[in-house]
Amino acid sequence: MSVIARLEEQRLDPQRELGELLAQPGGDGAVVSFVGIARPESSAGESVDDLLLEYHPVLTLKSLEEIAVEAAERFDVSRVRVVHRCGRVAAGEPIVFAGAASKHRRAAFEAADYLMDRLKTDAVFWKRESGAQRSAWIEPTEADYSDRDRWG
Amino acid sequence: MRVLFYGRLAESIGAEVELDALPGSSVAQVRERLIAEYPEVEQSLRSRRSRACVGDTIVQDDHLLDAACTVEFLPPVSGG
Repeated sequence: MSVIARLEEQRLDPQRELGELLAQPGGDGAVVSFVGIARPESSAGESVDDLLLEYHPVLTLKSLEEIAVEAAERFDVSRVRVVHRCGRVAAGEPIVFAGAASKHRRAAFEAADYLMDRLKTDAVFWKRESGAQRSAWIEPTEADYSDRDRWG
Repeated sequence: MRVLFYGRLAESIGAEVELDALPGSSVAQVRERLIAEYPEVEQSLRSRRSRACVGDTIVQDDHLLDAACTVEFLPPVSGG
């Protein structure tokens, strides 16, 4: 089993990350990946220019590693890959890549879904979105916490 | 005691403050001291999603703090 969790300060290239998952298929029959992108609009409909992802010098990477390892242990997957941006991310740019490879598709779909639910609520970042009209800290919604809790 | 903050807490209070706390104070007692000094962040500090951290480990409210230690207060986190 291979688990990779990484913090990217400069640039996240989803195609390269997916390419890494596809490059060594081994006995796998499925690769599922998710890419999160900084939205150009807040939930209230205001324009957003960029997202600041503040992070902790130790706990942030540790949280990514823990979430990735727990996904690998929970589902029948051979590889898990999580790459998360930190710092300032312009609207339209990728924030996160979460991918999993498995023999059969269901485990890879579930692992990717689990990774994102956990990352939304448990990855140690503090997000601030800024635009011409306003700047605001963004925290998980109750729906985000419910999504995470469905995994028990 | 050195107290570090992140996110909205750091924006309101600053990234770091020195607190003259009694040796053996618990995390809960230090939080109350902070709320008394910085009432503007009461909601964030009291959030059940906020965490305290010592030595890169999350600690509970009853954790006792050395006067010379560094404690970090983390407002609710969110990735993705």
